[in-house]
Amino acid sequence: MEKSKGKAALFFGAVGGFFVSFAEAVAKGDLFVKLSLIWMGAGYFRRKQYIKSLLITIFEAFVILFSVTVGIAYVPKFSTLGTVQRASVFNPVTMKNEINDFDNSFMILLFSVITFVIWFVFILVYISNVKNAYKLQKMAENGEHINTFLEDVNSYKNEKFYVTLLTLPVLGVVVFTIIPLLILILVAFTNYDQQHMPPTQLFTWTGFTNFVSLFSSGGLTITFGYSFVRILAWTLIWAVFATFTTYIGGILMSLLINNKRTKIKKVWRTIFMVTIAVPQFVSLLLVRNFFADGGIVNAFCSAVGLTDFLRDIGLISTSYIPFLSSPGWAHVMIIIINIWVGVPYQMLIATGVLMNLPEDQVESARIDGASKFQIFRHITMPYVLFVTGPALVTDFVKNINNFNVIYLLTQDVYTTTNQALANSQAKETDLLVTWLFRLTQEYYNYKMAAVIGIIVFVLCSAFTLIAFNRMIKGNREEEYQ
Amino acid sequence: MKIKVSDVLRHVLLAFLSVIWIVPIVWLLVTSFSAYTGMNTSSFFPEEWSIINYKNLLFGADSVAQFPRWFWNTFVIACFNCVISTAFVLMVAYATSCMRFKGRKALMNVAVIINLFPGVLAMIAVYFILRSLNLTNSHIGLILVYSASSGLGYLVAKGFLDTVPVALREAAYLDGASEAKVFFKVVMPMSKPIIVYTVISSFLVPWMDFVYAKMMLNSGIASEWTVAIGLYNMLERSLINTYFTQFCAGGVLVSIPISILFIIMQKFYVEGVTGGAVKG
Repeated sequence: MEKSKGKAALFFGAVGGFFVSFAEAVAKGDLFVKLSLIWMGAGYFRRKQYIKSLLITIFEAFVILFSVTVGIAYVPKFSTLGTVQRASVFNPVTMKNEINDFDNSFMILLFSVITFVIWFVFILVYISNVKNAYKLQKMAENGEHINTFLEDVNSYKNEKFYVTLLTLPVLGVVVFTIIPLLILILVAFTNYDQQHMPPTQLFTWTGFTNFVSLFSSGGLTITFGYSFVRILAWTLIWAVFATFTTYIGGILMSLLINNKRTKIKKVWRTIFMVTIAVPQFVSLLLVRNFFADGGIVNAFCSAVGLTDFLRDIGLISTSYIPFLSSPGWAHVMIIIINIWVGVPYQMLIATGVLMNLPEDQVESARIDGASKFQIFRHITMPYVLFVTGPALVTDFVKNINNFNVIYLLTQDVYTTTNQALANSQAKETDLLVTWLFRLTQEYYNYKMAAVIGIIVFVLCSAFTLIAFNRMIKGNREEEYQ
Repeated sequence: MKIKVSDVLRHVLLAFLSVIWIVPIVWLLVTSFSAYTGMNTSSFFPEEWSIINYKNLLFGADSVAQFPRWFWNTFVIACFNCVISTAFVLMVAYATSCMRFKGRKALMNVAVIINLFPGVLAMIAVYFILRSLNLTNSHIGLILVYSASSGLGYLVAKGFLDTVPVALREAAYLDGASEAKVFFKVVMPMSKPIIVYTVISSFLVPWMDFVYAKMMLNSGIASEWTVAIGLYNMLERSLINTYFTQFCAGGVLVSIPISILFIIMQKFYVEGVTGGAVKG
């Protein structure tokens, strides 16, 4: 805890310092520094950095132009997300019905967020620009050398090379991940759904209503609270089982294959690898048909009498085994099929780890008379856990978001018979992410999807934080170095 | 040499597991050579063998199955994604691994946090942004979706670059090399394994991905699809009885090149995952 407090203080200290030095620059700067509060290129212009001055001026002009064209059109409507609904109005001049100048709530949201991001960047650049102008002034006063434009460009190949490297990737992440995430987080606080679809309808802010309806089970027809608890439970059960079965299975399989006395190791390894080399949408769709209600496994089971036997003991009530079409069966099958998909992956990783196993420790343990099981329990297992621990955490998070396995195995095949779940467009086998996906793709219920997305994030980050804190506490790096 | 019981047992167990793991794949292969078009449920092997599915798939494109077209679409998208993603990943990896600057740790922490959001969530909004730019149902849009945020997946490459000895770079600096020169002439030539890994893994993304393609290319025009959506569509309830064996043939055709690339790549994957952890 102490450490994190220190970090927070450091962070706010840095932010404070950023503004303090800005104030200092404004107060102590000369005319041109003060002028660059209005004309951003002034400071550079005074120090004869004309090209730089021109570039920053263009940047300033662009931001102003953007603000007066796009910003003005959308930002004032941000608080209501639009008031004028699309309608057909009779125009007495042209004697025709025309579409009025309607508001599009989503466009207002989108362009407002973009404008806010641009303004945020602008403020950062603006403040650093004034500080730079002040720095240049001091350098000129002290008679220091001031870089020419060519020297500045060169610095982006040297000490500032990281700026060159990071600009495009960061821009990509901002435009394609951060801005979309901001918008979706905001959507969680609106009533954006099928009844409120722009451009024909407006949507507006509703505060925490969506969160309330997700956590309360009230209401007769819409049952998000009811579904949420069940889907959350299955998501967690799935993540735990999927992570640990494949993890342990992978280690066991790798021990089996890498045993000194195992013959034709390569052949075994290749056989298992073929299953993961086939793209998941092929292998999973195939397996889904393999286990279909009228599929080949069912035909085989009924031929050998397994179907009848299961019916006799009351496990099934249908004339086939509902591997992927009834609640309990589908849950178990999904986990089993995931073992089939996931174990070879973990086997590959475990093989890599086991090859680096500290031989000397194993050797000395053997000389001390440790049994095979003791060596596995006290040397192999702790080592493997140490090396793959972080990967285990990320695997767990990945499984919470494991879209492919669930979607490809159950979409179009599994239909729920539980009316309460169906009311909120959920199925027993859904994870939070597949539920979210179907809510948007099939039912256009963006508000609830956004809320679920936020919950998934909270879940993943809470888990990651706890796990990594535990791991750092038990830091045993030195033992294996 | 005496044969131990445990050895025999181990091999029997391995053989048993291998059968379980390989049976669906064998089924895929044999069904693709079936003369019957629907799913054969009465026997594992087809009653009548034929290569008609491959012939139809490759030369007899119809409104549902346009495999050559899909293959080409996916290939083009994969090539673009490969170039952009590899560049982004290596750039971010070098900047975070080999350079020290203000805000480096903060940047890496932000990347961790962003990765905790489900990717599908951001894509829902990206879809709207692209639609307002008229880029949905276009391959450019899909390429942007795959590659724009690829810088976030820099960790494996960073783990590798962390192992490149600092002394090498310092020697180059002493000789007067610029940082850019060190990047291109010193570090990159030493990083062939990780470059191969990044190139192959980013090339494979469009071949393996299903979700994003389904979201972005939703117009229902078959000639624009990628392999994943096309094959998925063949299993629609109304189509499965006419196209199931063609689906299998398509699956085999896609899997062959991908498996080869995958097997080359996995060696580097294991090195990346385990190497990074041991070196902390």
